[in-house]
Amino acid sequence: METLTFTYPAGPKVGRRAHVGVVGSGDLEVLFEPCDGNAAEVTVRTSVDGYGEVWKHVMDRFFSRYAGSVRVDINDFGATPGVVLLRLEQAAEASQS
Amino acid sequence: MNHATLLARESFIEKRARERIRSLLDPGTFRELLGPFDRMESPWLPMQRIVPQSDDGAVIARGALGGRPVMVAAIESAFQGGSIGEVSGSKLACALELVLAECQKGNVIYPLLLLETGGVRLQEANLGLAVIAEIHSAIAALVHRVPVVGVIAGMVGCFGGMSVAAGLCSHLIVTRQARLGMNGPEVIEQEAGVDELDASDPRLVWSVFGGAPRCRDDLADALVPDDTGAVREAIESAWATGLPATRRSAQLERLPLPSPAPVTSSGAAAGAVSRGGEWLAALTGGKEPEHRYSAAVRSADAPLGGEMARFIAVVPDRENRFPRARDGEVGLEQAWALAREVCSVTRADRDGKKRPIVAIVDVKSQAYGRDEESRGIHLACAAAVDAYANARMSGHPVIALIVGRAMSGAFLAHGYQANRILALDAPDVLVHAMSKEAAARVTRRSVRELEALGDAILPMSYSIRAFAQLGILHARIEGVNANAPSDSDVLRVADAIADAVADARRGPRDLSSRLTSAAARETRKASLEVRRRLALEWPPPREP
Repeated sequence: METLTFTYPAGPKVGRRAHVGVVGSGDLEVLFEPCDGNAAEVTVRTSVDGYGEVWKHVMDRFFSRYAGSVRVDINDFGATPGVVLLRLEQAAEASQS
Repeated sequence: MNHATLLARESFIEKRARERIRSLLDPGTFRELLGPFDRMESPWLPMQRIVPQSDDGAVIARGALGGRPVMVAAIESAFQGGSIGEVSGSKLACALELVLAECQKGNVIYPLLLLETGGVRLQEANLGLAVIAEIHSAIAALVHRVPVVGVIAGMVGCFGGMSVAAGLCSHLIVTRQARLGMNGPEVIEQEAGVDELDASDPRLVWSVFGGAPRCRDDLADALVPDDTGAVREAIESAWATGLPATRRSAQLERLPLPSPAPVTSSGAAAGAVSRGGEWLAALTGGKEPEHRYSAAVRSADAPLGGEMARFIAVVPDRENRFPRARDGEVGLEQAWALAREVCSVTRADRDGKKRPIVAIVDVKSQAYGRDEESRGIHLACAAAVDAYANARMSGHPVIALIVGRAMSGAFLAHGYQANRILALDAPDVLVHAMSKEAAARVTRRSVRELEALGDAILPMSYSIRAFAQLGILHARIEGVNANAPSDSDVLRVADAIADAVADARRGPRDLSSRLTSAAARETRKASLEVRRRLALEWPPPREP
């Protein structure tokens, strides 16, 4: 297990909290909590060590499009980058609905 | 069936635990308690470098179903195989206890369990087993007041200690894709060999464990298609039926028990000497033990602290008709015999003083076998659990004395429902969810790695001292020769049992003393925190 953290500057918070996914094989759980503080703070716990660089790319990409202040907690059980991005977008969407 | 009917179905199996609950409840009534954002996760998994889940794989919700107020608990099978850890199990146990408290106040809430679980989470071994005993205790109390409905939909099924929980339910609803059994097919193949059960043969596996045969053999009540509407209808119809005339786990005549040959002192049938047998003899003054229901379940009445007490032990029985249960295991015959034995005491004392019941625990495991599973060993164990729990609730002080091995399902059936648990602190006295060798194989670790983990992770340890630190033991008795006790050893142990009896009579008749001990306050912080927060979130928020 490896823990990674990422921070991005962000605008005001939008939407409400959302929870998607499950810590099951090839999947992950995302806890998405809009908050104050003009920053997006991400904590990732992943079962697969050594993929920090890949995680950074995925996060950079997601936060190039998502601008709200948010706390994101990810519990990952070996999801591929595509699945991670999908879950993040699903969480953001659920947070707006 | 035509295509239109099939396409109109809304699969229940494909839904995750939370979606399952939402899809069953009346729209707009779902209220989750201790949800993901409460972040009550397993404290033990990260210590083993395993990623936890924010709800620990258990979803608890209140709401309405067909207008009835309900509490639904669902286990998420995708997380760690739906295994029961300290937190997920405590969520279930506490939610059931809160329903019980409401029912006792005359405020009926209907409990519904969506079971999709492999049983104890081996990474939290002894705490998983402990919370499963608490779940059993809560269900055993609830079924007198309100029908407890269990649903096993698949695809994981319901195994291990939780199959016993399923056996305790008032009504059980299954699909064809459900499986129900004490030991999973892989575990049986591993423990008893491929000749006993070939886990790679799906036709065989489904003919033993599948929802359809379980329903045919009256081990479940309703067989429904994989359709959310059908599941909901079956649940409503179960509640409409009300409490069964005799709950399944109290149907003591289900397994015919041949009257065993009389015990003789040379005893061919008795023959095998075991620690449990030795201690039974020692504590009852060498009195000839009775074995009313099985040669493998011995009992005797003997004086204890100025009154008579019933002592019960499971002993090896080399000629048992079930070959997988000849060496001190709890098999079909042993479990049903335990249930009858305990019920005979509660019946006899119904109107008088409730005598202490002492379970002498030396059980190496539950029996691993195809025959055992076909005939429902999970229900046999549920019957024993039911009998012990009801003896305790009716005022019998029930004391478990661990003199040897207290392993997994066998310990759940014989000892874990006691008011107080005592253990000798001696070599080869151990409590665990699975034998070392089997646990090593299942978790893909070596026995040495497992032992090292046990030193670092308290609930994983096999030692009785580590077990004592979990706060579940009432007393650990040191300096006793477990194999050949001297007269003074026996006196000391008898005194300790008598003290425990007095203590049990002073306390409540539930298992709460295991959570209030000093050791529990230290080690079971997560269990206590779950209970504290769940109780806080329980009452519906006031309307503004």
